[in-house]
Amino acid sequence: MSDQGHGPNFDYQPALPISRGKTFMWLFLSTEIMFFAALIGTYIVLRFGAISWPSTHDVHLAEIYGAVNTFVLICSSVTIVLALEAAKKNHASSAKGWMFLTLILGTVFLGIKMVEYGAKFSHGIYPQHPHSGIYEKPDVYYAQAVRLRLNELKADLQGVGDRTPEQDQQIAVIDEITLKLLTPAEEQLRDHPDAPLGRQLLWKLADKIYPLASVHEHPIGKNESDHTGHVSASPFKLASTGSENGAEAHVSGLNDQHHWLKLPIMIPGGNMWASTYFLLTGFHALHVVIGLIAFGILLMMTLNKANAGVIENVGLYWHFVDLVWIFLFPLLYLF
Amino acid sequence: MSDPTHDDHDESHGSIRLYLGVFLALCVLTTLSFLTYFPWWRGAVSTEMSRLVMMAVSCTKAMLVIIFFMHLKWEANWKWVLTVPASIISALLIFALIPDVGLRMRNASYQRMIHAAERPAAEEKEPGNGHPGAGHHEETQDRETVRPAA
Repeated sequence: MSDQGHGPNFDYQPALPISRGKTFMWLFLSTEIMFFAALIGTYIVLRFGAISWPSTHDVHLAEIYGAVNTFVLICSSVTIVLALEAAKKNHASSAKGWMFLTLILGTVFLGIKMVEYGAKFSHGIYPQHPHSGIYEKPDVYYAQAVRLRLNELKADLQGVGDRTPEQDQQIAVIDEITLKLLTPAEEQLRDHPDAPLGRQLLWKLADKIYPLASVHEHPIGKNESDHTGHVSASPFKLASTGSENGAEAHVSGLNDQHHWLKLPIMIPGGNMWASTYFLLTGFHALHVVIGLIAFGILLMMTLNKANAGVIENVGLYWHFVDLVWIFLFPLLYLF
Repeated sequence: MSDPTHDDHDESHGSIRLYLGVFLALCVLTTLSFLTYFPWWRGAVSTEMSRLVMMAVSCTKAMLVIIFFMHLKWEANWKWVLTVPASIISALLIFALIPDVGLRMRNASYQRMIHAAERPAAEEKEPGNGHPGAGHHEETQDRETVRPAA
């Protein structure tokens, strides 16, 4: 009870009972917690404050990729823990093996992420102009952007001296879109500005260019072959399934049937979605890249007991990266 | 736990079996949150409940990772010094943002409502043959109701 017997024998605790490296890693991680909490909190506010938000399939986000990536990161968390355990037991070569596996898994994560990004970019979904072709609603500005793009394409094609049959076909497609979809809509708006038909035609134009998956039911089982050739008689072939996006079959629009078109697309809430999605996943991917660099440095060291502390610190960082993805996956893919 | 020397001789804390157990738990929990994607789940469970489940699952997974993989279970009391303030500040940030979400419609102006992006209505006929009369009467529909049926 009493400390009478201990007298002058003070037991000073000079600092935290852990290494300085670990202390600073944890301090750094506590700032990271706040950083990602801010980002995720902002995402939640913007997402639930938004009047419109695209569904995942509207923006070519496939849930299965996110789930696989979650699994990959969990596996990599286990392998780095096993690397640490092996290093603590002074099994340098097996530690190196686990570390290498972690590096591979991290690279796989980034690879899947790149495939996902590619699916967005190929559909004209970018976070910012000038690449981004996302319009929020099909209004006169959207029609104007479509016309500008069509004019630009046609001028380029007409400037070519001797055109190939393929280029002639492209001009035909451009003319058909202009004459059958765009001009009627703009003329309706001009002649009857108060009648709804012009707006409906604009909707139709946007729908033909980029049909939203949430609007068109997925025509699963109805497999009209679409990949027979890009030169179809009419550019208005719709509701054909293309399985280019992995597991998800989606409705293909004009931009899918003619990849050179790259017309502006209409996704309600799409710009805010793109900004938040690319910001969150981009910062996370940046952390993954830094982790991979750390793994590369570790692989050049001898991973024995003397270096177990470094492995532990890098491991702490990597677990945190995993932790962030654990929250990002449901928020971005499943909400 | 408060004894700093406890760590040194307790090498048993990182048993491989425990890590594999945590790994399995994480996989099962990931599958659980992925289940909410499937139509049969969405048909049976409300969106709010699904989101609650997903966040609960995420928090559980995060705790598993923090406690076991990041070794916080076996650390001395310093862990509270570093994690609790950061967690409190993060939580405060989230709570401070809640009114922005919860009260967003209170001051939503008429201008904002009429300029909100609209969704195209699904065409009744098979897509392709233009039926201009179809599809202009679900203007400000709640977006939950138009999620794809997948």
